[in-house]
Amino acid sequence: MSSKVYTNQDADELILLNIDRVDNSIDTLVSTVEKIAAECFVPFSVGGGISSLKDAKRLFSAGADKIIINSVAFHNPQVINEIASLAGTQAVVVGIDAKLVDGDYVIYSNCSTVAEPVSLPDHISRVIDLGAGEIMIQSIDNDGLMLGYDLNLIKDVVRQSSVPVIAAGGAGSFAHINEAFEAEVNAVACGSLFNFGDNNPLRAKAFLSNLGVPLKRIK
Amino acid sequence: MSIGIIDVGIGNIGSVSNALYSQGWDPVLVSSTKDFKYLTHLIIPGVGSYSAAMRLLLDAGLATAIIDFVSQGKPTLGICLGMQLLSFIGYEGAKTEGLRLIDGEVMPLKKIKGLNLPHVGWNEVTYKREHPVLSGIKSGLDFYFVNSFFFNARNHNDVIACTDYGQSFPSIIGMNNIIGVQFHPEKSQINGLRMLDNFCLWDGVC
Amino acid sequence: MKRCTKCGLPETYETIEFTESGVCNMCVQHIYKAEVIDWDKRKLTFDKIIQDNRGKYEYDCIVPFSGGKDSTFTLYYLMKEYGLKPLVVQFNHGFMRPTLLKNNERTFKKLGVDVITFTPNWNIVKRVMLEALIRKGDFCWHCHTGIFSYPMHIALKYNTPLVLWGEPSTEYTAYYDYRDNEIEVVDESRFNRYINLGITAEDMRGMVKNESEELDPRDFAPYTYPNLRDLKKLRYQSVCLGSFIPWDTKAQSKLIMDELGWEGDEVEGMPPKIYDYEKIECHMQGVRDYIKYLKRGYSRVTQMTVLDIRNERMVKDEADKLITKYEGKKPPSLKVFLEYLGMDEQEFNNIVKKTVVPPFEPDFSKDDWSPKTWDFDNLYREKN
Repeated sequence: MSSKVYTNQDADELILLNIDRVDNSIDTLVSTVEKIAAECFVPFSVGGGISSLKDAKRLFSAGADKIIINSVAFHNPQVINEIASLAGTQAVVVGIDAKLVDGDYVIYSNCSTVAEPVSLPDHISRVIDLGAGEIMIQSIDNDGLMLGYDLNLIKDVVRQSSVPVIAAGGAGSFAHINEAFEAEVNAVACGSLFNFGDNNPLRAKAFLSNLGVPLKRIK
Repeated sequence: MSIGIIDVGIGNIGSVSNALYSQGWDPVLVSSTKDFKYLTHLIIPGVGSYSAAMRLLLDAGLATAIIDFVSQGKPTLGICLGMQLLSFIGYEGAKTEGLRLIDGEVMPLKKIKGLNLPHVGWNEVTYKREHPVLSGIKSGLDFYFVNSFFFNARNHNDVIACTDYGQSFPSIIGMNNIIGVQFHPEKSQINGLRMLDNFCLWDGVC
Repeated sequence: MKRCTKCGLPETYETIEFTESGVCNMCVQHIYKAEVIDWDKRKLTFDKIIQDNRGKYEYDCIVPFSGGKDSTFTLYYLMKEYGLKPLVVQFNHGFMRPTLLKNNERTFKKLGVDVITFTPNWNIVKRVMLEALIRKGDFCWHCHTGIFSYPMHIALKYNTPLVLWGEPSTEYTAYYDYRDNEIEVVDESRFNRYINLGITAEDMRGMVKNESEELDPRDFAPYTYPNLRDLKKLRYQSVCLGSFIPWDTKAQSKLIMDELGWEGDEVEGMPPKIYDYEKIECHMQGVRDYIKYLKRGYSRVTQMTVLDIRNERMVKDEADKLITKYEGKKPPSLKVFLEYLGMDEQEFNNIVKKTVVPPFEPDFSKDDWSPKTWDFDNLYREKN
């Protein structure tokens, strides 16, 4: 399975997101998590349609280390607090999808379909108060295009967040990853970059270490 | 070899069990004293609160069984909270007595500006001395941590390795046939798995 | 493009890293190989490994074998130095050349060994070649994965824990490093890092299948690495001979030519005679090298001259002359390859273009062809 491949290629952590808008049932996620947990020996986070403490419990039991929630942070924010109380703040990642509209960042929920009225800084501080241990910020505009992260968005979030920030959405080259680290994120998430094109986390790390970026060592 | 994993709801036995299974071992879940009968090795995993975990161990009658197992010289490994439970006292929540196997107290990590708590992520483990369980794994490599508390060992001889997070704290402790790791070997990929393998091949002698 | 100041390898080379002086990590680790590793001690370690396995299992060891210079030398050395009973395992990628086949027959008969050769389903091979080319710009996925997985399955089937490979990967890349002073283990982790292009057989099956079709998972078994659990229970040990004796391809090639009558061959795109021991096994080598040239701006001529420069057998000027003269030309076998995949050159160019490694930019308009090899007409044609 890919989880083994990425682990062998020195990925630090794995993220599994169910982005299927038709089948986003927790059952599918749970069975996938069980399969991955049998072979994945780095921390891995799961997300996609998680909306209750019960969902989270099932996923933790199946072997997930962290839960990523997004839409529920708007509809039912106390779930963040419930999960954090159960498993600790470090097990809760709040994903935020944002798009640039008329010069301002607007947050979207429900797989980037519903614009939410809350401002980015307000939302960030609210979820952190409720127990979010990490923020994963994704640029809707840049995701999947492999043209780079939205660095302005990242810088805004890093400034506004007192917890670690993961940048997601847009990496198309190793140079883009370096740009995100220069914007002071704690972690960088890549999808398309490793799925398309002849490259992998190992080579990304060789590139980054040539530029002096500090990375974990397993050799 | 029969590798036992303590299973009374104090830790993520699934990950540890999967890790051992994938390496060719057949781990046994231990939830009562009779499960100790044929064990050659014991692993105490742990996630959560010190006082709650000790309560669960005592209620299941396992605290005495563990101490007994250790006294027979059999290899015993504590992981994360499991390592902390080896101590004399823990200060998480109410002051609680531990298994009293390695002298020391479990205290909160210092709050330092710029460093988030809990300590979460990959961090370097630097050896102070050699140990059979470290065979084939270099000093200074990164392992995955999730901890807010640390094991303040009384005897520096019991400290096998240290890690830095605003302060230096023991990341591996050991005495005779007991060894404890503050990080999660089952989440530390190749080196963590190697460490678990080494433990399963260890005869308990230093 | 940035290049190593000593050997000339460009920054597009996989795993390359440059020191402050501009010398690449491969050059640095080579010095280590020559000057720091205690080869006597390594040899003693190997003696013990052989001793621990001799006579105890169905075979003393498995020797994965392609018939190229490295595996031929490995088999020769094991037989002459230790007098073992190996099971030689060959994975037939589908493009074995006549000289290679003759070499193999001669080698097996002169040395006296048991041999298993496995040839996978050609229809599956064609489909995965196309998929791998599109996704990674490297059509040899079935060969990479088959060569490294299949012998492990045989080890399990024949209850033979010791698997002996030839050259360590540190000879050519920095996925493993002589400076770590470690014995490279040829295992699943290495397979996923360095061999299967990051695509497992299970993933590949999902990728090639069309919407409505059901592809038999058994068709992908030859490319699937066996379970670590099963291998660990066998107490498997999978290592390279080149981790225990210093590898010297020029000397070793001469040895097998002298002792076994092993013959070199011409290869598309290579200068005649100089490197006729290198990569002679596969009809598709020319296409492989050509794609590498389009993606990364260097190819086989560079790689060979780099080794010579590093071993101080050639100076950079000589190397540059050879590179300018021979590198980057289109191989005649490209036409056959396109037939197998059912595409034309334009489609091929479009696919390869997407996998180019920056900062290199290929020139697809060049229409220079290298000469046909003597056995070109031996190539299988679909219309036969």
